[in-house]
Amino acid sequence: MKKLTHQKLNRVVRALAAGFAATIAACSLAVALPGNALVADADAPYASYTVDGYGSVIATQTAYLPYRTITKIGTESLLGPTDFTLLKDGTMYVLDSGNARVVIGDENGELVGTFGEGILVSPKVMYVTPDRVTYVADREARSIFVFDKDGELIHTYTRPQEPMYGETQDFIPLKIVVNQAGTMYVICESNTNGVVEISPVEDGTFLGYFGTNSTNSSIITIIWRAVLTDAQRAKMRSNIPSTPDNMAIDDKGIIYTVTRGEGKGSLKRLNIAGVNMLDPDSYDQVPAAVAVGNHDNCFVVSQQGFIYEYNNEGQLLFVFGGKDDGQQRIGLASKAEAIQVGTDDKLYVLDSDKAQIQVFTPTEFTGYLHDALYLYSKGRYEESKEPLSKVLEMNNLFDYANMAMGKVLYKEEDYQGALHYARLSKDLEGYSDAYWEVRNLWLKKHLSAIALILIAFFICMRIVRFLDKKKQILNGPRAVLRKIGQKKLIRELNYLFTFMRHPIDGCYGIKRENRVSLLSANILLGIGIVFYVINKYFCGFLFKTVREGRYDVVQDVGLVLIALVLVVGCNYLMCTINDGEGKLKAIYCSFIYSFGPYLVMMPFLFLLSHGVTYNEEFFVSFGRFCMGVWIAVLLVVSIREINNYTMRETFKIIFLTIFTILIVCLIAFILYVLWAQVFDFIQSFVREAVYRIGS
Amino acid sequence: MVRKNCCGISFRKNRILTKLCGALLTAALLASTLPAFPGSLDRRAAALSQVQAAGSFPDHTYLTENNGYKLYVNEEDLSLVVEDKTTGAFLESAISYDDGKNNPIWLGAMRSAVVLTMINKNDDTKQADLLNDAVTKQITYTDNGFSAKIYWNVYQLGLTLNVSLTEDGLVANIPEDSIREDGDQYFIGTIRIYPFMGHSYLDDKEGYMLVPDGNGALIYLNDKEGRFASGFSGTIYGTDIGFEESKVETLLWDKYNTISDPNQVLAPIYGIAHVDDEMAFLGIVEDGQERAAIEVMPNGVSVDYNRAYARFVLRKLYTQPTSNNSTSGSLHIYEADRSHSDLQVRFLFLSGKDASYAGMAASYRDYLLKNGLLSKQDTSYRTRVDFLGTERQNWVLGTQAVVMTTAKDVQEILGDLNTAGVTDLLSVYKGWQSGGLYDLPLKSYDADRNIGGNSGLTNLIKKAEETGVDLYLYDNALLINPEEQNATFNVIKQVNKKRYEYKTYADVYETFYYLTPMRSAELLAKLAKSCIAKGANKLCVAGVSEKLFTFTYQSSKYTRFDSAKMYGDAIADLNAQADLDLILEQPFAYLWKDTSAFLDMPLYTSNYILEDESIPFLSMVLAGTMPMYADYVNFEANEKEFCLKMIESGCFPSFYITKADSSELIYTNSRDIYSSRYETYRDRIISYSEEYAEFAKKVTGAVITDHKILEGDIRIVTYSNNVKVYLNYSEETKTVDGKTLNAMSYLVVS
Repeated sequence: MKKLTHQKLNRVVRALAAGFAATIAACSLAVALPGNALVADADAPYASYTVDGYGSVIATQTAYLPYRTITKIGTESLLGPTDFTLLKDGTMYVLDSGNARVVIGDENGELVGTFGEGILVSPKVMYVTPDRVTYVADREARSIFVFDKDGELIHTYTRPQEPMYGETQDFIPLKIVVNQAGTMYVICESNTNGVVEISPVEDGTFLGYFGTNSTNSSIITIIWRAVLTDAQRAKMRSNIPSTPDNMAIDDKGIIYTVTRGEGKGSLKRLNIAGVNMLDPDSYDQVPAAVAVGNHDNCFVVSQQGFIYEYNNEGQLLFVFGGKDDGQQRIGLASKAEAIQVGTDDKLYVLDSDKAQIQVFTPTEFTGYLHDALYLYSKGRYEESKEPLSKVLEMNNLFDYANMAMGKVLYKEEDYQGALHYARLSKDLEGYSDAYWEVRNLWLKKHLSAIALILIAFFICMRIVRFLDKKKQILNGPRAVLRKIGQKKLIRELNYLFTFMRHPIDGCYGIKRENRVSLLSANILLGIGIVFYVINKYFCGFLFKTVREGRYDVVQDVGLVLIALVLVVGCNYLMCTINDGEGKLKAIYCSFIYSFGPYLVMMPFLFLLSHGVTYNEEFFVSFGRFCMGVWIAVLLVVSIREINNYTMRETFKIIFLTIFTILIVCLIAFILYVLWAQVFDFIQSFVREAVYRIGS
Repeated sequence: MVRKNCCGISFRKNRILTKLCGALLTAALLASTLPAFPGSLDRRAAALSQVQAAGSFPDHTYLTENNGYKLYVNEEDLSLVVEDKTTGAFLESAISYDDGKNNPIWLGAMRSAVVLTMINKNDDTKQADLLNDAVTKQITYTDNGFSAKIYWNVYQLGLTLNVSLTEDGLVANIPEDSIREDGDQYFIGTIRIYPFMGHSYLDDKEGYMLVPDGNGALIYLNDKEGRFASGFSGTIYGTDIGFEESKVETLLWDKYNTISDPNQVLAPIYGIAHVDDEMAFLGIVEDGQERAAIEVMPNGVSVDYNRAYARFVLRKLYTQPTSNNSTSGSLHIYEADRSHSDLQVRFLFLSGKDASYAGMAASYRDYLLKNGLLSKQDTSYRTRVDFLGTERQNWVLGTQAVVMTTAKDVQEILGDLNTAGVTDLLSVYKGWQSGGLYDLPLKSYDADRNIGGNSGLTNLIKKAEETGVDLYLYDNALLINPEEQNATFNVIKQVNKKRYEYKTYADVYETFYYLTPMRSAELLAKLAKSCIAKGANKLCVAGVSEKLFTFTYQSSKYTRFDSAKMYGDAIADLNAQADLDLILEQPFAYLWKDTSAFLDMPLYTSNYILEDESIPFLSMVLAGTMPMYADYVNFEANEKEFCLKMIESGCFPSFYITKADSSELIYTNSRDIYSSRYETYRDRIISYSEEYAEFAKKVTGAVITDHKILEGDIRIVTYSNNVKVYLNYSEETKTVDGKTLNAMSYLVVS
């Protein structure tokens, strides 16, 4: 109370002093700050990122800079504001929730007026139409209050009476947007049916639910549900869709929603039918609000103050900002609640904790990107090339720009360029298309040469064969080959082909005739590992399963060896106690030889992966499938033959082996955890003893 | 509070008096309707009574004086009043007006000459001052001040405070050997000397406080209306990585830290200017700066007084983990030994026109030059064009070179620029060493074979010298890359004996360690010797110039004083070699004397909410004395504004250039270099060079004497040769002093 009097008095004193001060000339240091807005210096306390084709962040130029901080509208302080709307002319309607009123400020931050006092109880959100009709959703009053442009209450909508709304369903409005026809879209607390759609006709007609979030059931949940009794099922966490947390509407009436914890569904763009048209590549787990930009883009702010900008396909362009963990730096947020975009692309973020609106201004770089974005989305590829080049000049790792540039060049029939940019941006579709064209051109250019070479080769072969028939010119090399082929090791390695074609005889050879040795098996294993590594890291770009620039060969080899030891070891253990005849060596060798198809087919598949596009992807995947089936058949036959099992016994052994592997893994894990605990305890004990005694 | 004769004060500047009159008038008007007005009216009434009692300070007695100032002291709390003999304006070190909202602890802190915080077991917040605690004082007066032996009887702590008024200001000193900790319960944590020197209450004074954040910032002495919960606190020469800081961080996707580190405090200074009284001071932490923080607190932060001071740290609590698993337990312990150093703050007083931040900058420059902490360098214009030689990216086994700019490429580019008329060039060659940019540390002159090997590099250096280009070889002497070099020894551990790891969050080299300063010094000397032998006599040293830490090595503890000494000696030794030219990247103030250029001068602040204005303070100190180069233009999103900032602060532009496309760097640790291709930047280098050379020609050798911030984003910089630079940061055309300034442009007027 004392403080209040003090402040009031100060204000009076200051007002009087201002009268005196007006007559005084400006002093040498002029303060350029208006009382209610702090203009920041142009550097950001946060880094701006974009994402690369693999979804991990990559640094970029600062996208938006803190511009000013609005803490008051005119002289009116705000108390826990929770929502605001920015009109095209810069007029700002702020829902001053703590004071249960709406405050209007003009573009310069001067007070225009307030309304809603005495009517609003606990307003949470608001929406102002372009013709300045204000809709305020009041949580406690369970109503939507509509005010005309003079701040007069003209309507109050309460819970829809239609049975379709749901008999037990309460009406606690949390967010509202209104389309041009005056249809209200309302998010209600604990109403999981979706967004409530209310027409203004006849004092509010409930039209139905819109854009319901879906529920996800994992296979395990489905199995559980099938197994459990009704009573048990009732105790399970109910699987109901989540209510959206916030939404926005664009000029065309398209609605954007954000929902926390929905993964990719956390940001949605719903068409008139309520169907989602957006597939964001990165998202926040706790989005607070969404706004529609001026370039077919949209913005999401998370509660923690991270601001995301997406293009119309849901690709993340920028993420910046962050939480103010006590650093008190301009541009960081404590609890962001609402976001709006000005016509000049400035971003306005409302922070309810700090009771302020932080304005961000786009940088030159972002300006270029927006130009490119707009032109590109309108299909004006030619024109978009210039701003795109500008963006890439400033940041040639900017993923979106690389992707767009690839597409633009593709349209311009610069396929080599398109290929380069598509690869940089990991745009697989674009890469495949460009590659098809590049290959096509290459083939066209070189087809005659290839044909000539093939014909020449064929003729040479014929000539050599002819000469060989007549004069046995190949006898020399043939003898050398025969000599080499007679070497034991080579014979053993060659046995691979016999084994692949005749696995039953092959197993007999391994088991009884010593046709292979540990050495040959190990060599084949080595070759297999080399093939595996080469294929993993150097196969065609379209078929690569690892990130470019990442190599983890030691881990790869380790994993292969561990898997092999586990499978062979466990299988051997199971076979020994199940009357299997196989010795460890035989089992090991037969397993390695069973992977013959891999060794034989992989080089071809590898080469093929470099030559095909998504159109001919079938060849590679079919090849891989055949290889897999072949290996599986060989493995089953090996287990059966080496141990002299029936088919039934074989499958039993396979299941037992898998089970044993699981058990071994479990035991290893338990041992690891226990040992880590023991080790940790000993370490803590010794260290503490050292410090206690030492000090 | 305002104690001046009205006749002696220019009416224009005396807004406070206007306010007083306003207050009195209000009081008279409202007296009949309102019963009592505690707070502001009392304060102003008290102030008025002081105006009437002009000529004396009731709580303080006259002690001594010099040409410009009189010094008064209060024997109880040893607080001071410094009075300007010409204008009668004064600065107080203790509050004379109590707004009644402060508890005794705060009052003790606000009045005492020396305020301690003590460490008692796990508590480091307890305060000891001269008012609240039983203190034995023994004051000896000297010709120009006094020496006070202070002993806190209960805590068994003692120190001697020496205060002397010199010709240029006031020196407050606590000698190291006077600090006593006799008990085994209480130990000294921190010491503040005259923390309320030059303070003011709410908006009683017009003026500002100088914050050493980035290049410099101001906090105005207006009423902050309680908006700020905490003030500015910056450890001089950066935070101490030797102590594990427990930070609360909110990460993007739980992985990425989006918040950039605040700027480091590069110089041990702070200041307060009372513009209306035309009196100001600049505080320089002279001794103990290696382990002190500058704190600038506007009103509303705990109390309603504006104040700025240095907080010396003698001992700190830290966390000693006892297991690798952070949840398993840890001990909170305090440093066994305190840091040992004299503690000294010099207050340089400024009056009249000099009582401004421009005056502070000038007096700091004079101070540095006079004390040999800065030497005048050749400040003629050079465009800085840095090159990246090679980097590494992962390959099947080990790594593979990514060649960005070979020595031959550099030669071609320099030649091309030369042909285009860009002759004044300074160039730093990064990643020239065998193994690429991050094969650290460097031990000898050993160029990567991919850039042309030693012969190629030597050839380049020779050619550069012939064409007059200053080509420096880059060495980060702080880091060691454990994946490329043996990092078992010579790396630092934190005070809790944990090896310090610097995480890069990059794909190729994820972790680096810091070398011990002894090892850095040894390797630097070795490298310099090897380079000189090969004719490469220009070195650019980074890392050691911008970090300072406490560390342990082989069970000995080294303080920041030790680190600073070792780094300082190493750099000084290098610089002393006649045939070696040395430049440092963002050097701390204690190294300024040993660098011939200042690289990466910050142009902005850290954007603290409480800072009202950013000013090019450090630039004003150094312009005309040392050439300063800004951060790379490449990575600026708002290039136009950045250019204006460079002009305003007299910094020269820098570019980071590669011959190959920077997208080649995507899988390297340098993936943050997202734009650097020479072809992209060629034209810009040429146009920048022309523009800045033209500007620099007009101001070379001149120092900045004044800097003004006008309404509407206009700034005026005045040089000692009467050249004025008008800058318009707004989006509109403006007219100032009859000169038209286009939007986002500048105008140089001779």
